Amino acid sequence: MPAIRNQIRELRALRNITQQELADKVGVTRQTVIAIEQDKYSPSLETAFKVASVLGVPIEQCFQYDPKGKR
Amino acid sequence: MAFSLSYREKSLYASLVAELVVYGPYFFLHHENTVNKVAGMIVSIIVLQIILQSLIAAFTRQRLTDERDKLIELRGYRAGYLTIASLMVLGLGALWFHTASGDFQFESRMVGLHFLNVFFGMLVISDVVKTATQIVAYRRSI
Repeated sequence: MPAIRNQIRELRALRNITQQELADKVGVTRQTVIAIEQDKYSPSLETAFKVASVLGVPIEQCFQYDPKGKR
Repeated sequence: MAFSLSYREKSLYASLVAELVVYGPYFFLHHENTVNKVAGMIVSIIVLQIILQSLIAAFTRQRLTDERDKLIELRGYRAGYLTIASLMVLGLGALWFHTASGDFQFESRMVGLHFLNVFFGMLVISDVVKTATQIVAYRRSI
């Protein structure tokens, strides 16, 4: 299990936002959104806050840290 | 396709193709390399890169690069640096060994050209490793 997990895919689906729309609003590429959603890339703190802000949720609802997870 | 190519990724594939097309024949087909051929190769790679990168830029709507692109770029440069450092140590070690044992007896006018080829080869290999490492990183979605 990765050290940082996220609920972006679920939150995005609830708000009917596409990966491209989220990427445009956050200022990253769609490939980066895909990598984050697949838990393959942990974004910077700034990007994580932007994602949470665009999805309209507190950051801890969007990203969770698992100390036992693999970095 | 679930995971389409980003602008940076397309650009890297183009760089790898240009490097292999220009450097490949130089190192594997030419037995007598000259300064003119080295110069020709440098000009060729520059021209080919300009053409390919212009085409990619023209046909790619979104040319955004982000933090992940920068991270992958740094990984590529690290791999390239480790490669060239290793090749330098191995190359200079081999040169010292063969010179000390008397295997190499260069004509003085050929020494410069020989070194040019060896060091240019090291640069080329490290550049290809750098580009390939970045492509692998993109494919593994890190």
